[in-house]
Amino acid sequence: MEERGHLETRGGNQPLTSLDLVDPDRLSRFRYGIVTWIDKDGFPFSVATDFLLSENGEILLKRPSVPEIMTGGRVGVLFNHITGIPTGGYTDRRYILVWGRVSEDKGFLKLHAEELSEWDEKILPFDKLCVAAVPQAKRYLESLQPSIDA
Amino acid sequence: MNAPSWVRDVFEHYLICEFTSIDNGKPVTFPLLFFYNDDPHRFVVTSSILFSRKVEHMKKNPKVSLLFSNPEGSGIEKHVVLVQGIAKCDDSDLDHGWERYLPMWRKKEPYIDGFLAAREQFAWFWKRIVVEVEPKKILAWKNGDTSKPAEAINL
Repeated sequence: MEERGHLETRGGNQPLTSLDLVDPDRLSRFRYGIVTWIDKDGFPFSVATDFLLSENGEILLKRPSVPEIMTGGRVGVLFNHITGIPTGGYTDRRYILVWGRVSEDKGFLKLHAEELSEWDEKILPFDKLCVAAVPQAKRYLESLQPSIDA
Repeated sequence: MNAPSWVRDVFEHYLICEFTSIDNGKPVTFPLLFFYNDDPHRFVVTSSILFSRKVEHMKKNPKVSLLFSNPEGSGIEKHVVLVQGIAKCDDSDLDHGWERYLPMWRKKEPYIDGFLAAREQFAWFWKRIVVEVEPKKILAWKNGDTSKPAEAINL
């Protein structure tokens, strides 16, 4: 699966609730989340964990058994879906990547969402996503230019 | 690598990983197709220049992680494995450098040849950077139960 770029990014200085950013109905279509933070050695540390949505639309992550303490720190949480095809490959690709902070909440980690990026191939087909990403490709090629000229 | 067979199965059969780069201290995670070489032990992803922001991140900070959590389409049981490593980005041959991974790619996505046949039409997509990750630390959760402590795998 290729990284699909940012279909939608929201954020800014306004205080937002998780409900402002994340559609609970869409989030409920994912089975689990990938929580990632930066560990004491400076590496990303990811772990998969189950989640549930409270009646208030809060995102509650089951606390994984990990050696690192992430409470209070910034995390990214990826909700990803693919469907494997028996003959190889996959389809029905979609993901939601939420950044925010987590706090302890009755044995769970409550995610306070601050920023979001997502892609769903049923909303934005891959060929259209590629067209939207052309400026990034041009920027990358331009960044290589000095070494080509040298 | 002194990994148990169930960990090697994950590396050899899972289709995708959740790949994280670091953008100014912020973890950025996307699902990516990966390839695994066992001699030497390296994990490889390739990136179109269309979606090259993660490569820009890695050029500034090569510390990355790959999480293997999704057995979908692999035909094996679910286990969860985390690999932390150092990424090396090679964009010296955008048109052909990635082609050495095509046999492995074809195994995971047999229909990729259809896209390749239209290479001229998807020219930007097929300009690709090769990212090779040298593992530094591996943690594994058998049966995917991350509520239990992970098993450290000797490199």
